[in-house]
Amino acid sequence: MSATIANTVWQGLVILFGGLLLGMIYKGLDRKLAAQMQGRIGPPLRQPFFDVVKLMVKENIVPDHAVAWLYNLMPLISLAAAGTLLFYLPLGGFGPLLGGYGDLILILYLLAVPSLAMVVGGFAAGSPFATVGAQREMVMMMAYEFPLAITFLSLAWRLSVLLPGQPVFSLTTLAANPLWGLVGPMGFIGLLLLFLALLVVTPAELAKIPFDIPEAETEIAGGLLAEYSGRNLAMFYLGDAIKMVVMASLMVALFFPYGLANLFSISGIWGGIIDVAFYLVKVFLVIFVAVITVRVGFARLKIGQVTRMFWLPVTGISLLGMLLLTLDRFV
Amino acid sequence: MNNQSIHLDVGNSTACYSVPVGPVHPALKEPIRFQFDLNGEQIVGVDIKPGFAHRGIEYMGMRRNLIQTLYLSERICGICSISHPLAFTQAVENAAGIEVPPRAQYIRTIIGELERIHSHLLWAGVGAHELGFDTLLHLVWNVREKSMDLLEQLTGNRVDYAIPIFGGVRRDIPAEKAPLAYEALEYYKGLLQQLIDAFLHDKSVEMRTRNVGVLSYDQAVELCAAGPTTRASGVKKDVRVDMPYLAYADIDLHAITPEDYGTEPIGDVFDNIIVRLLEVGQSIEIIEFCLENLPEGELTSIPKVPALLAALKNAGGEGIGRHEAPRGEVFHYVRLEEGVEEMAVWKVKAPTYSNLMAWVPKFLGDEIADVPIIAASIDPCMCCMDRVHIVDEGGTSSVRTKTELVRLSREKTRRICG
Amino acid sequence: MILGTLLKQLFSKPATNPFPVKYMPRSVTAVLKKVAAGQAAINPPVPTPADLRGKISYDREKCIGCGLCVRVCPASVIELYKPEGEEKSKIRMYVARCTFCAQCVDACPVGALATTEDFLLADTDRFSQNLVVE
Repeated sequence: MSATIANTVWQGLVILFGGLLLGMIYKGLDRKLAAQMQGRIGPPLRQPFFDVVKLMVKENIVPDHAVAWLYNLMPLISLAAAGTLLFYLPLGGFGPLLGGYGDLILILYLLAVPSLAMVVGGFAAGSPFATVGAQREMVMMMAYEFPLAITFLSLAWRLSVLLPGQPVFSLTTLAANPLWGLVGPMGFIGLLLLFLALLVVTPAELAKIPFDIPEAETEIAGGLLAEYSGRNLAMFYLGDAIKMVVMASLMVALFFPYGLANLFSISGIWGGIIDVAFYLVKVFLVIFVAVITVRVGFARLKIGQVTRMFWLPVTGISLLGMLLLTLDRFV
Repeated sequence: MNNQSIHLDVGNSTACYSVPVGPVHPALKEPIRFQFDLNGEQIVGVDIKPGFAHRGIEYMGMRRNLIQTLYLSERICGICSISHPLAFTQAVENAAGIEVPPRAQYIRTIIGELERIHSHLLWAGVGAHELGFDTLLHLVWNVREKSMDLLEQLTGNRVDYAIPIFGGVRRDIPAEKAPLAYEALEYYKGLLQQLIDAFLHDKSVEMRTRNVGVLSYDQAVELCAAGPTTRASGVKKDVRVDMPYLAYADIDLHAITPEDYGTEPIGDVFDNIIVRLLEVGQSIEIIEFCLENLPEGELTSIPKVPALLAALKNAGGEGIGRHEAPRGEVFHYVRLEEGVEEMAVWKVKAPTYSNLMAWVPKFLGDEIADVPIIAASIDPCMCCMDRVHIVDEGGTSSVRTKTELVRLSREKTRRICG
Repeated sequence: MILGTLLKQLFSKPATNPFPVKYMPRSVTAVLKKVAAGQAAINPPVPTPADLRGKISYDREKCIGCGLCVRVCPASVIELYKPEGEEKSKIRMYVARCTFCAQCVDACPVGALATTEDFLLADTDRFSQNLVVE
């Protein structure tokens, strides 16, 4: 028993550090490619590592008006929640580490925790800019959680119809049975719509342009994160990096869990390496489309416009997808 | 909350909290202090406190001779860096009775219009940055480089061109340099439609700028706003058209309003973008006309510097000079005394000074998310504009209110007029 | 959307001129030492026109010491002094104060002053040899 616990612990540590490393590499790629698209040279790929090291070394200022214990605790919670998410997702072609202990419902809750931690941290900072930013993040969460939940539920429900009795909310089951091949043409279109909705929710979840209104740099001088500096800011930064990997892995697990090794019938070490490489490529593609290209192609939207956009068109699309998936069952 | 802030009547609710913006803030390119009273996200009160970029330039100018002051006036602002010398030289030439040859007037016009192109493109990029659309910032500023390079070729520097001198210009645009200018103009003509597409046909830009920061026609007239800010509201006010000077008298010009794009002027930020982009097109046409019709002749009426210094010293009288800077009308007043090298009085009215109060109706009723783009929409240039905030030796600070300022200005006018 | 432009730019050369080096080095002084020793090269800046208003050059022989340049300089850059054993006064220019307006060049009746294309004048000492023209 203790051997399996020890196994799980060191595997967990590998996943955690791997996730951190990957997150920072993808962040570096994000900045470099965004710069290239804007016609600039951009920072070198190692820049996020320099940034984190610099932040760790800088002074950690706690404002006079802040609620100090909350202010210092929130970055820790944000990083911890984001890191924990990694244990419940299938990464690199392997199953989730703690697959038996948590499923899609837990992921839905855990996804909300880093954003909530930022909200509480923003309010605890005691600055008007942070307050405005925290209010905006709360409203934005209310906006995008709806299509997110609809997407998760539709996928799980459809799978439950096809595989009665199996734990359909479990990521292992979802990853092992991609729905594209299991539904008819109407269901295919429904799945496509759900994929689109989740693609739009991803930049909102990660607070990137056009949905980076809680951290709007030119409007509220950094918003939620305006008062944070030093180690606290480094933890928020790392949490953001991990969350990017998490959201992309989630997309890949729900919609594209295919492995290359199975296709070419390669097994063993080489199969594992090919699968991991393919997974990295898939995650990069998701980040490129949902985060990088969108980030450079649009202006920042106002909070009223963001809410309207998520509650009307995006929820509409996901509901339509859910409807099509339902109808597909009877066809 | 400052009891001098101007409030919007929203009926039942009072402002919940007040948010300061400035003098140091990522939304602002230059220091100015806003105090917003907010009800949720909506702005219900605004107070503006300028004065952070006051450098005492008029004081410095009145202690130097006129040629030295010319270069000081050039550095009042980096973006509108030829607007101030153009107005200043006109004021002095007006006071001293110095004539400017036609070739010099055309060259001044060409450089002035090139500055307008670079300034409007700079504004477009900054506006995009305030909206969070950094890609447009980099695209537009890359495009702007061509005009800066052309200015460097023609005048010897990218900013602060040192072209006007009393009685004419210092450098010629020889025939060898004309192809460079034509090439740059062709480049801009080809790009103008792409710029208009990128700004005016982009959905997210439209969502952020349409019906935001509205300044109605009547408000623009009442507040005496100037430049593209007032033209965006449909007021056809342009110094080049109303009181032609330099080469503008020979050119068929009209003040550009959103009607030239085909839309009704509302006076919002979107209309400001329309007016400034179309003015870039107008500037290209003006420069082409001037290059093709450049009259022959001398560059300046008093080429020798000792003669110029003597003429300026012996001049007496007062003069005014105006120019349509990229931000509006810039106005210089000069009074010279015979036998004295320094000026007796120098007064500068920058265009942003006229546009400052236009901020108030623009801000009220909009959201805090609109603050950066509305602040940018009048194209503020604080370094041109600043007035002073007085701090007594005793450590108390006071801000002069409107009634006091009117009283002080009347006293000063009586002193000046003797 | 400007997607077309973005994707095109993704694969083309950036518009930035990487002067002096592409990325910020670990130690700037180390890079400068290497360049001085000839082991590393610096990317050249964007080419400048021949009549750029850079550092002003001074021809001491031509100068007659009239002092016109001192009168028109807006920034008090030029100092007129009488060297020992010479009949005419000469000038000294403190480039750290100069605004590069070149009015002194226009004012000089004998053409002793001229503009050059030299603009890389950053220094840590206001009175270094590069920044005082005599």
